[in-house]
Amino acid sequence: MATRYKKYADDPETGAFQCIQRIEDNGVISCIPFAPLNKDYKEYLAWVSEGNTPEEAD
Amino acid sequence: MSQTKAQLISGTATQDLTVATIDANTANITNRQGRNLIINGNMQVAQRGTSSTEVGYHTVDRFRTQTSSVDENPTQAQFDVNSLTNPYKLGFRKAYKITNGNQTSGAGAGDLLRIVHSIEAQTIDESGWNVLSGTSYVTLSFWVKSSVSQNFYVNLINVHPATNKNYVIETGTLSANTWTKITKTIPGNANLDFSTGVAEGLRLEWNLFRGTDTTGTRPLNAWADLDSADRIPNMDSTWYTTNNATFELTGVQLEVGSTATDFEFIPFADNLRACQRYCYVYNVTTNNFIGNTSLFANSTTAVKGAFFFPVTMRTYPTYSADSFNIRFRAGNSSSNFNANSLTHEMGDDLTSFPRHWGFTVSTSSITGGQAGLLQGQASGQIRFDSEI
Repeated sequence: MATRYKKYADDPETGAFQCIQRIEDNGVISCIPFAPLNKDYKEYLAWVSEGNTPEEAD
Repeated sequence: MSQTKAQLISGTATQDLTVATIDANTANITNRQGRNLIINGNMQVAQRGTSSTEVGYHTVDRFRTQTSSVDENPTQAQFDVNSLTNPYKLGFRKAYKITNGNQTSGAGAGDLLRIVHSIEAQTIDESGWNVLSGTSYVTLSFWVKSSVSQNFYVNLINVHPATNKNYVIETGTLSANTWTKITKTIPGNANLDFSTGVAEGLRLEWNLFRGTDTTGTRPLNAWADLDSADRIPNMDSTWYTTNNATFELTGVQLEVGSTATDFEFIPFADNLRACQRYCYVYNVTTNNFIGNTSLFANSTTAVKGAFFFPVTMRTYPTYSADSFNIRFRAGNSSSNFNANSLTHEMGDDLTSFPRHWGFTVSTSSITGGQAGLLQGQASGQIRFDSEI
């Protein structure tokens, strides 16, 4: 299953969100917080370290 | 007034049981509550679902499949134990079942199919096992059934802050389609380290197949640095190359001491709570309120709120939702919005242990300042995942 990552648009009040969006082919969308011990966040960081970049927000 | 006198029996000697004698004779209690370091070892809880062809955590809580280079994904399922079998007679009703896909290109060198269970480091560190001592033990026991007669290898990996440590055991050749109980006692070792708190400390891997890229001549029953090119001995590929071969697992128990005691059955509610530290699932149906939330309309276009968890989660979880509609039900209820459009917004320390998950969502037709609840407008599942 292909996985995409996408940034959230900034919150008008609080600015940038501390999370990233994960989009899967089956319609499931996840909100991954930038929590150091979250395994999905670790996987995202590993994906970025391989030279990938998330899609920009709409 | 009558008195009851307790006596301590040690070998052939008997003495009155007093505070002094208790202090001098620490009891080796092997049936204490909470002795099983495995959560959901009887495969009772399956919050996410009962069958899936996806890899990862998708069915039985706390157990996942992992694959690499397979031609077709296996199916993982929570499966009913047959009432005529020994595990059933001992109280096991559910098993974690893997059904192999069709590996049309055979057993490749880079192929992998395994079951994984991960344990927090602090669980091991504070279990009572002297992990640094070669004469202090934990005992792993489990029931296993394979449709193919074969030997399988199981790794115990200390996910170490510096270099991972690896201990490999084998099931021995299993008789096809026969439940077998496996029991192995594992010593401590001066090089182990479980000081990393809520991070992964011990990983159990049931290897259904590993290709030669990651196997070799690894000795059994001894701790050593994990060699990613030689994690287990070269293994038989018969199960892996058999289309629709099955592998079932239940009754997994890891306990301190050199003796395998009977499996520790706990009430479903306790088992569920233990699982909810790692995953919390809410199944939403049409018109039902999602009752574990508190929300308000922050403006005419935004709702803010929080989900409250039944237990403190291991770390800040990932929020996931199927694609289905919900709404903010209030004096002026919102337009429908997709459950997967909620965005995490805590504004506080993401390294603490959460009891709640704050969020914001954009919508319309609301009046600022009103309070309300989330309400399902269709059926779907939302999940909070803080698995290891």
